[in-house]
Amino acid sequence: MTDLAGASPRPEQLSDEHAKFVPGQPDMWMFVLFETLLFTGYFSVYLVSRTQDREAFLGAQADLDLRVGVFNTIALLLSSWAIAGCVQAARNGDYPSALKKAFLTATFGVVFLVSKIVEWVREIRMGNTFTSDEFFSHYYFLTSIHCIHLLIGFVVLGVVIYQLRSPARRSQQLVETGATYWHTVDFLWVLIFALLYVVR
Amino acid sequence: MSASTTAPMTMTDPPAGSRMERFVWNCRYHPKRELWFAWWVMVIFYNFYGVLFFFVTHVQPPPSPAWDTPTVVQWFDDNGSGVIAGFAIVFVIAGLCAPMNALLAYSMRRMSVSPVFAYSYLIIYSLAAVPGMLVMAMAMTVAALRPDRDPEIIRWLYDFAFLSFSGTMGVFMIGSLVWMVAILIDKNRVFPKWFGYFSLCNALTEVVVAPAWIFQRGAFAWNGAIAWWINMVVFVSYTAVFIVLLRRMIEREDFGTGPLPDLEAAR
Repeated sequence: MTDLAGASPRPEQLSDEHAKFVPGQPDMWMFVLFETLLFTGYFSVYLVSRTQDREAFLGAQADLDLRVGVFNTIALLLSSWAIAGCVQAARNGDYPSALKKAFLTATFGVVFLVSKIVEWVREIRMGNTFTSDEFFSHYYFLTSIHCIHLLIGFVVLGVVIYQLRSPARRSQQLVETGATYWHTVDFLWVLIFALLYVVR
Repeated sequence: MSASTTAPMTMTDPPAGSRMERFVWNCRYHPKRELWFAWWVMVIFYNFYGVLFFFVTHVQPPPSPAWDTPTVVQWFDDNGSGVIAGFAIVFVIAGLCAPMNALLAYSMRRMSVSPVFAYSYLIIYSLAAVPGMLVMAMAMTVAALRPDRDPEIIRWLYDFAFLSFSGTMGVFMIGSLVWMVAILIDKNRVFPKWFGYFSLCNALTEVVVAPAWIFQRGAFAWNGAIAWWINMVVFVSYTAVFIVLLRRMIEREDFGTGPLPDLEAAR
């Protein structure tokens, strides 16, 4: 399918392959589509509830610290940058560097997770819980379902690292499939960040 | 790829004749007759399930958990006969889950994965049918049977029925994940990998039902936009997709142990 690590193709083949090129398993892109549709559903419900009671939503939203959201976003964007570097290094056959970048991705993921937990604890201390008002129900719902995606992302990174560790495995396709998943987690967060923190 | 250890089966075509003769021949001699039987049971079961739950008993889409006791009693007055008649049929057809789940487990036994996957799935789905369908049906029938019963008890049964229905979702979530892992590590190409990822998507929507334990109104209640409506859309699409994919699996089945042939080759 996407035999990237193979022999270098002739220039005319290259342009042809570029046109059809999909990184990783095309199946993972179906997952990206499913998740995008699903989250569009969740976001629509949030936006409709918001129009029902704008004042209450704005009041509750004021308790969210935009700086924490920005920090979260930067952490995940850096993790995406690291996994992109990992894919690039693996394509070039530089596996030690690819491994390092995969671990760097996981580190940024952990930074995101910890900062999210710290934020949850802070909000709960302020009295904003899952049941306290509608905005915070959506906030906890969207952030925790996203965190479940992130936790699955760590399993995916585990698969990527497992692939990169042994010369006997090193499936470039699996590495890129894992990277696509990780980018999806990042992409969903950027949308959640925009909706919960920025749109006021 | 694991090598095929048994020779692929050669299909014999039914003799020329009337439609009825071909049907009888297929029932008696077709090598895939059990698989097709299970598949048709699945199609029939889901059709019954849809009609009975949505149009006869009206328990789907679920009525509100926020209703007060008189409204709940009124709901049973309006829908009581539908509940009793509909669930009477549900009790008759509930056993159809067996060949259906067997076919799902068969799909995993045909993969290049450990039998543990198929057995786990079979046990999970067999158990989930009890609280998710039978206990709910019993509680609703008990509530509808005597309309002059203490209204508070009717409301108790109403809560019990809908929470036992929602309560099976965690079990289905694990079931979906078992199927997902089996599909993703399978080398026999029984299902496309994207269906494995779709199973993950389905599993994640099952998690979302958990807040129904806490909320009585809004998007997260048991009849809410997120806990019910979006989930139902995903579940219906997921079910439709796996029914089609199981049909393809049966068409491609060669009773070997190696990778399943492509559809064109199997035909």
